[in-house]
Amino acid sequence: MFNSNFVTLKAAMDVALARQEIHSQNIANAETPNYKRKYIEFEEYFRESTMKLTLKRTSERHLPLANKKVVPKIKVQKDTTLTNDKNNVDVDIEMVEMVKNALKYQTLSRLMTSNIDRYNAVVRGVR
Amino acid sequence: MNEFNIMTISATGMSAQRLRIDIISNNIANSETTRTENGEPYRRKVPVFQELLRTVKGKVENGGVIVKEIYEDRSPFRIVYDPTHPDADENGYVKLPNVNVVREMVDMINAQRAYEANVTAFNTTKAMITSALQIGR
Repeated sequence: MFNSNFVTLKAAMDVALARQEIHSQNIANAETPNYKRKYIEFEEYFRESTMKLTLKRTSERHLPLANKKVVPKIKVQKDTTLTNDKNNVDVDIEMVEMVKNALKYQTLSRLMTSNIDRYNAVVRGVR
Repeated sequence: MNEFNIMTISATGMSAQRLRIDIISNNIANSETTRTENGEPYRRKVPVFQELLRTVKGKVENGGVIVKEIYEDRSPFRIVYDPTHPDADENGYVKLPNVNVVREMVDMINAQRAYEANVTAFNTTKAMITSALQIGR
């Protein structure tokens, strides 16, 4: 009954929340020696999975293509160094990215509400 | 992963920076202390931060930051010629703590900024959770 909008929105919101955790961790460790910033890769895999060609089933007995679940991957950026203590967290960039991510999350939750509203309109009957 | 863990991460960041400001205040307050319990002048103290990772049900989770130890700076004491000082040696030199107040002030501003960054992160998380609570309203 419910279309994949909910699933897609939920996945995107989960990732935004996971990103927020990573940003918090990076900011908390902005002064920790040898700490390397973490980041999440997700959209890259997501795009790949939705754009992938699907196989046509010519017989009912063919196995359906397994729906590959996209999971966010936490990565560590090891190759740069910003300060003498080998830490590479740039607090300014981290803050900007965090605010961008939060706004994205708020947009997604607004979208989720309007999605639910549409179902409500159908269920109650629009007059 | 849950949203309250994110808030705890920011909280560890805040308390670590606050402990750092505590230590810096202590360093500045003792910048002229020539007598401590072990008989030598006060030594500058520095907190050592470490990333905190928690293992929950076999999975490693981000836990923020922790102050691993409070390290005593082993750099040499400042030596000042002041024969009238009660702690002066036979040549009239006094050993003063290895605290550089200017450096402490710089560190303090740094810690304050880092604290504020953690507060901002916390507020952002709070705004996100509030917006999630508005879903369906």
